[in-house]
Order: sequence, then C-alpha cells, then structure tokens
Amino acid sequence: MSDQPAVMLTELELDALTELVNLGVGNAAVGLREMVKEEVLLSVPNVAIVTREQAIANLGRDPAKRLVAVHQNFDGDIRGRALLIFPEAQSMELVRAVVGSDLSLEDLIELEQEALAETGNVLLNSCLSTIANSFGRTLRISLPEVVHGDGSEFFNLTPWPQIDDSVLFIYINFAVRRGNIQGYLAMLLDLPSLVTLKELLASYIARMGGTTPPAPSDAG
Amino acid sequence: MPASDAIDFRAVVDAIDGGVVVVDAAGRVVGWNRWMEVASGQAEPEVLGRTLEEIFAGASLKRLPQAIRAALSSGSSAIITHAISPELLPLQTRSGRPLSHDITVSPVGATRISGCLVFIADVTMAAKRERFLRSRQNARYDAVVARAADVILTVDEGGIIQFINAAGVSQFGYPEAELLGHAAAVLFETRDAWTTTWRGALEGPPSSQPTEVIAHRKDGSATYLEASASRWSGGTRTFVTVILRDINQRRATDAALRISEAEARSAATALTELNQTLEERVQQRTAQLMKAEAALRQSQKMEAIGNLTGGIAHDFNNLLHIIGANLHMLKRDVAGNEPAQQRVQKALDSVMRSAKLSSQLLAFARRQPLDPRVINVESFIRDMDDMLQKAVGDGVTVELNLDPGLWNTLVDPGNVENALINLAINARDAMDGRGCLTIEAANVTLDAAYAHAYPEVTPGQYVSIALTDTGTGMTPAVVQQAFDPFFTTKPDGRGTGLGLSMVYGFVNQSGGHIKIESEVGRGTTIQIYLPRSLQSEEELIDIDETPVTGGTEMVLVAEDDETVRDTVVAMFNDLGYRVLKAKDAQSALTIIESGMPIDLLFTDVVMPGPLQSTELARKARERMPHLAVLFTSGYSQNAIAPGGRLDADVELLSKPYSRDALARKVRHVLAGAAERSRP
Repeated sequence: MSDQPAVMLTELELDALTELVNLGVGNAAVGLREMVKEEVLLSVPNVAIVTREQAIANLGRDPAKRLVAVHQNFDGDIRGRALLIFPEAQSMELVRAVVGSDLSLEDLIELEQEALAETGNVLLNSCLSTIANSFGRTLRISLPEVVHGDGSEFFNLTPWPQIDDSVLFIYINFAVRRGNIQGYLAMLLDLPSLVTLKELLASYIARMGGTTPPAPSDAG
Repeated sequence: MPASDAIDFRAVVDAIDGGVVVVDAAGRVVGWNRWMEVASGQAEPEVLGRTLEEIFAGASLKRLPQAIRAALSSGSSAIITHAISPELLPLQTRSGRPLSHDITVSPVGATRISGCLVFIADVTMAAKRERFLRSRQNARYDAVVARAADVILTVDEGGIIQFINAAGVSQFGYPEAELLGHAAAVLFETRDAWTTTWRGALEGPPSSQPTEVIAHRKDGSATYLEASASRWSGGTRTFVTVILRDINQRRATDAALRISEAEARSAATALTELNQTLEERVQQRTAQLMKAEAALRQSQKMEAIGNLTGGIAHDFNNLLHIIGANLHMLKRDVAGNEPAQQRVQKALDSVMRSAKLSSQLLAFARRQPLDPRVINVESFIRDMDDMLQKAVGDGVTVELNLDPGLWNTLVDPGNVENALINLAINARDAMDGRGCLTIEAANVTLDAAYAHAYPEVTPGQYVSIALTDTGTGMTPAVVQQAFDPFFTTKPDGRGTGLGLSMVYGFVNQSGGHIKIESEVGRGTTIQIYLPRSLQSEEELIDIDETPVTGGTEMVLVAEDDETVRDTVVAMFNDLGYRVLKAKDAQSALTIIESGMPIDLLFTDVVMPGPLQSTELARKARERMPHLAVLFTSGYSQNAIAPGGRLDADVELLSKPYSRDALARKVRHVLAGAAERSRP
C-alpha cells in the first residue's frame, strides 16, 4: 500500500472539485432550511484525495472519540460510498439544531437516528447530485443509513469497492448557532471511478474555460 | 413464470400495507395504490395527472417536492421521517385517526430516470408506542428531574452538556440554550475535580463518594456544589448524569457552625477562666472567712484567757492591797527596829512587784481601771521621743513619721506610754539592738469591710500608730500567739510574756484595735488603731510628781470588803483626814442624804447591792455639787462606764495603791473639786 493515492488530482482539479462540493453544500442548505429548527450554515474549506490509511488517520484513532456517519451508496459513471462523518459528541448538536433544543435528551437520542439520516441525506444528495449534474451525468443514490464506529470501521465497510482505493476527503464546517461542528464528507471511490472523476473534472474545467495543466502524478 | 401470469402486479401493489405513489418525470401522479386511497380519502382516478402539491393543497409538504425533483433530476433517494416532519401528509388510519408515516423517495428507471417512487410507511403503531413511552418517561422525568432541587446535568462522552434541568439553569444563571452543547468544564473553577468526577463515572466503577466542586455563575459569583455522577446508556451512546447539590447553605452553616464553635470554645474558655477565677475567688473568700474565723477564735480565746486571768488578778489584787496596807502600818510599828524594818520593806517590794504583775494581767484582761484623757497622739509621741530612744538604745534609729493634723483620741495616756515603750523594746530585741524603728501616725477610717475581717472592730474613724522594725520578724504561728499572756520568744528571764498582752488588752479596752504584720527576715509592724475623739486635748498633769500631803477634809469611804475598808480608813486617818464608813452604795447614800458635810466620796466601783457606785456618785453630786468623787477598783468591768473607761471628770485610783499614791490622788481630786466650785 503506497503512501500516495493511486490517482492524484491537480491543484486546478481540486479547486474545481472544491467549487462543486461548495455548490452542492449550498444547495443542501435549501433542503435543510425546510427541515431544521435552527439555521445551519455549511462551508467547505478543504478538499483532498488521500489514501484509506490517511483517511483513517485523519479521523483519529482515539477509541474514546467515537464517530457517527451517515452512509449512502451511489452508482453510475462513478461508483462508491459517501459518508458524512461527525464526532459522536458533536452530532448531538447537529440533531439539536435540526429538531430544536426544547426536546428532552431522551427525545433527542430517539430522534438522533432520523435527524442524522435526514440531514446526511439532504447533504449527501445535494453534493452528489450537484457534482453529477455538473458533469452532465446521472447517479443512483441509495437511501441513507446511520453508522456508529470509528474511521477504520467506516473505511472497511463490505463490500469494499476495491483494494487500494482512494478517499476523496472533504472537510465540512457546520456553523450552527451554538458554534461550529467539524464534520467530514468522505467519498470512497474505486480506481476506475477516480479516473473517471479526474476526467470529468478536466472536461468540466475545459468547459468552464480553464485549461488542464500537465499533471505530474497522472500516471499514478 | 406461471406465478406472475397468475397474479396481477397491480393487485400486489394494492395489497402493500403502505402507500405507493408513482410520479412521472414531470412530477405528476401516475400510480396511487389502494392503501393511498384509504389513507388520503382520495381515489386514484381523482389524483392521476396531478402533482402532490395539487393533491394535498393546503398541506405543507416541506422538502417532499424538492426530494421528488432531486430524484427525477439527479437520481437521489431521500428519506423524510415522521420524527422530523410529523404528519407531513394529511393521512388517516382506517379508524380515522391521524396516520404517522415515514416517506422515502426513490428514482425509478433502468437507464434513464423515468419517474419516481414515493413510498409511505405507516409508523403509527411505533410512533404511538414511542409517544407513550416518551410521555411516561417524561412524567417520571418531570417528577424526578425537572422539579429536582438539585442541579441535574447530563454530559455526553465528550463532556458536552446534553441536558440540564431547571435547577441547573437557575443555579448557573445561563439560559438553557447557552448551556446545551457546551463543554460543562467551562462552568467549573475546580476543573480537575469536575473532570475527575464525570470521567470517573464514564470510565470507572460507580462511586458513592460525592466530590466538592466550585462553579462560576454567569454573574461571576462562585457557587459550591457537591457532585455525584453516574453513567447510563441511550442507544449507542453513553452519558454521564451528574447531580450537583448546592452546598452553599451547608457551607455557610458549617462556617457559621465553625464560628459558633469557636465562639463556644472561647466562651467555654472564658467560662473555664471564670471557673478558675471563681475557684480563686472562692479560695479568697474562704481564706477571708478562715481569717475572720481565726480572728474570732483569737478574740474568743483572748476573751477566755482575759476572763480567767482578770478574775484571778482581781481577787489577788484585793489580797495584795490588804497585805500591802498592813505592811505599811507594820513598818511604822517597827520603827527603830532596823532588821525588822528591812524585812517589812522587802515584803512591801514584793507586794509592789506582785501588784505590777496583777495590774498587767488586768490590763491584758481589759479590766484595768483606765483613766482616759483626750490626747493628741502627735504631740504625745514627740514628747516621748527621748524616752523611746533610751528604751531602744543607741544602735536603733527612731524615725518619727507623724501626720500633722492628727485627730484627738480618748485614751489612758499612761497606758499609751506604757504600750509604746513595750513595743519599742520588743522592736529593739527583734532587731538585736541594731536597726531602725519607724513610728508612724495617721488618721484612718476603718470601713465595714475591714470590720468584717476583724470582728472586734467597730467601723469608724481612728488614729493609727504603727511601729515598724527592721528585725527578724515572726512566723505566722508566732504572730498567732503573740498576744497570749506569758507567751514570749525571748530567752528565759528576759521577758515576762505580758508586754504585748497588756498592749492588746489596753487597746481593746480603749475601743481600739491592734494587729501584727510580720514577715520573717523583713521585720514587724504593730499597728494600733485608737478611736477618734471629738473633744479637745486636755492638759495632762503628772500627779506622781506632786508632793505627798495629807489633809483634814471629811472623807466618806464606801467599800464592801471589811478588811479593805478598815485598811483604807486607817490610811486616811494616818494622813490626817476625817473618815466616815459605809459598807455599800446604799448606806453611803443614806449618810450623804443625812446632810453630813462631806468633801470626798471614796468609793469602790464594784459593790454588792441594788445601787451601783456610779449611781451613788451621781446622786451624791446632785445633793452636793462640789463633792469630790474618787473611785477605786481592782478592775473596771464596765462598772464605771461602758467600755470600761471613765468619764472624763471621773477620777479613779487603781488597786492596789500605795499610801503615797492615795495621798496624791486625794489631793488632786479635792483640788479639782475646789476648782469646779469656784464661780
């Protein structure tokens, strides 16, 4: 297993991807506004492609810091899994923002699954749809599923698309009234999907009027 | 498949216990199963070709239309739960109750998305159960937690506040919304204690021992809390609920208790001190009482000894008087017989010594006849200066420290002189002839408190005379006995043991008071208090210096003892006087009342019979104002005047007396009477 992902994106490609994710997140806000009791502002500060190991490392290995993820599969020209991941401790805040803080803790716990599922559903749908639409492609996106665990569990879900997969690792800030919640949007792509993504990004950039500079790590 | 031929797929869709709605790419309903007809109350033909917004006009479909659009455009699936969006669609159960439902939206189409499936799941049963459980839980919860007086705080595994009850909100002063979702640690000043508490509960075994923590309120004030934490799980999560008990009151009470304990302790200390001083005071009082009792016992003892010695001395005196008088006459009878004369003289000398001894005993017994005069102590002592210096010898310095303006006192001057000489000699002996004798005199007032300590003292004004030596001093035991007759610390033969006894008797008989203060090695102070007299000082005449002369005046002798009477009559006759005799006061009065011219009444003080000699004298004076009166007595015993002291104009001749003493005293009294009769 190499330290480097099998396919590297150029800086321009990453910028383009970041822009697309931002668009998708922005669209998600519309859906969220329908749903949540308190305003949630989303922003995407950083997008990177990392190895699975790096992704797991990024999420931290502290067993006390359990994570919660909303998981959806997607299929089409690009195949993979999308995960919206929060530290479990912070997910409660997102739930509270969604359902309102006048509910009891027990109610929150009961609603946590639904609230996370719906929130993640809106966000993941929005991001995936925006990217797919931008590329003029169609995806089939599954219903959401809430998973508790840690990074290594999330990135070893079976059936795993393929060995030596890369992780599109997107940092997301959820700004809720009580403060920021740091979350991650992770897209697990198999190698063909990643290659396709790179191609689609290149043509998207070309369409937008940019040029694709030669990518040194292209051969991967 | 034969089965698919046999079963109509539409019938299967209608049999689904859930709503199946199919919309086309434009969002119009193309399929509406039986379940939807029942739940919505709208038959399929009514809804076909219409959008869901149109079918459910008036209901807020929230993100359902958007989810349908996204499914159609992007192939995304969506879930809309009753938990987040309750009663999204106006659906009813078969019994007409609101129908709780979850909605999923999924794209339909193999390669192209041709439509969208909206599936509605009936979750009424589950929702009802949830609601029931929640309300039951809430009821318990409200009863226990919401209205608890203690702060109940729940944090998640990250220490983030997930719940806080009303007591917590009021305790910390933050609105609930400012607490929820924040790390609880920021509330605590004792952050380590807080972290140990909740982390310990999260990770370790339950602890029953509460921890004391200090928290900050929103207003910045500190609050003292006692935290007990326990762990619980909800779903996949673990929480720690911490009960924080407000112990500010308890702390204040404890502090108050500590203060009051301290106060109580100091009070107890004060009480102990008081008790100690009480003991001291009791000891003091007891000591005073014992002193007073000792003083009383002492005075009772002195009284008893005085009565005994006084009684003996009085009778002895009378006998001496007869012996002496007869020896005088015998001496004249044996005139010319030189050896006989010498023997008689020796016998007379012994009589005189015996008379002195008995007079000393009488003095101690306070039964000596006193002849008090108004004197001024200051001038009296100054006049005695030479005599005192001679008494103490050259080795002793006599220092006089006499306050000017001393009050007068009524005492027998001879006795005062005698007392001072006696005391000076005692001082000299105590100093072994070397030292300093200080004589001080001052006006003092002895109050009731002082009188309490010394039973014989009457409160009032006194002239005090203090003789202080620098001698060896006396032990308390010696002081105790110092006034006893015949008690002496001097070597055999050097002291009679009667000196201080006499002084004691005289002072007491004079209405005064005497006390000894002495310390071994430091010296002794004898303090004499003589009662103040408001009368002016008299001029003292020492009659002993006058020549012995007889006379021819008429003398009435009243004396109950026949032998004594005969003796004194013989003396008067011998001196040339004419004498009448009476055996008691009554007889004497009869003689006086008979009109016989009498110049001098010579009467014994104590005689049997109804009439007292003092009464006789008074009555005689009434009849014969110029009558001279001379009392004679072995002792006074209150007969002449209360306290044993004579009135100032009453003359007394103490027994035993010599012929010369009688001669001089008679002349003195007759001269005084002649003085008074002068116009």
